[in-house]
Amino acid sequence: MRTTAVIVDTTGVMTETLHVESSLEVLAEVRAHIRLVARRLGADEPAVRGLVQAVDEWVTNVTVHGYRGAPGPVDIDVLRDGPDVRVRIRDAAPVFDPATSPAFDPAVPLERRPFGGMGIALIRDMCTTFDHRALPAGGNEVIITRPAATA
Amino acid sequence: METSVERVSDSVAVIGLDGELDASNFHGLIDTGQGLYGEGVRTLVLDLTGLEYMASSGIVALHSLALVYRGDAPHDPDSGWEAFHAVQADAESGNRQEQLRLVAPNPAIDTVLDRTGMKQILPIFPDRSAALAG
Repeated sequence: MRTTAVIVDTTGVMTETLHVESSLEVLAEVRAHIRLVARRLGADEPAVRGLVQAVDEWVTNVTVHGYRGAPGPVDIDVLRDGPDVRVRIRDAAPVFDPATSPAFDPAVPLERRPFGGMGIALIRDMCTTFDHRALPAGGNEVIITRPAATA
Repeated sequence: METSVERVSDSVAVIGLDGELDASNFHGLIDTGQGLYGEGVRTLVLDLTGLEYMASSGIVALHSLALVYRGDAPHDPDSGWEAFHAVQADAESGNRQEQLRLVAPNPAIDTVLDRTGMKQILPIFPDRSAALAG
């Protein structure tokens, strides 16, 4: 099932929401949605590309490692937050804190880098903030932010 | 993603990629490249001219094919960091993979190739004819 909505809060901030059931087959649709909304919110093309890559990598992670290929809810909210475009992604998969995944540091010898996800390294590389919290009722929330205008 | 295969000779082939390479289809690219190797192809050109997007899964596919065309067994395609480590190890050792060549990645894909170390091990050419000339 897929639903989209536009929510305007009392301060006039507009949030575009997308709900999907996780599967590898919906990744293209998620990317298309982020591409469309980020452009609508004024993001330049490098910012659009970075946000698309980051969201795709996280939703892939949730699909493959969180839900282990089974369908599960994924809710994606996109809004303009001052100079930034902010994306919030929620799921109901087992808690996974990406902070436990290693930061990419080329100075660390390969054999000493712990196991983790290559996609996580790309998210960190392409966005200015990447924050995670475990939801009280279970599941994960990540917030990914990138300036709409690339320096 | 659509793929098209051109057999240039018994030992040389080009796979053209159109669309988006992600976690839903990267296994198919590995299978296609491995199949060509099994048929005797020893130089594989991946034409990325029509490729609009590449996820980290695509990097795993590229490195798997680099190993195959070097004559090694591919690693587990779901291995994540292990693939990244292997890429970096090859990059740091200057172990370039001339048997696998890339053509015309767009700026977004070029960034992903750069950040993951693939640009250091796979030669990149501006067009198909330059890649075939080597």
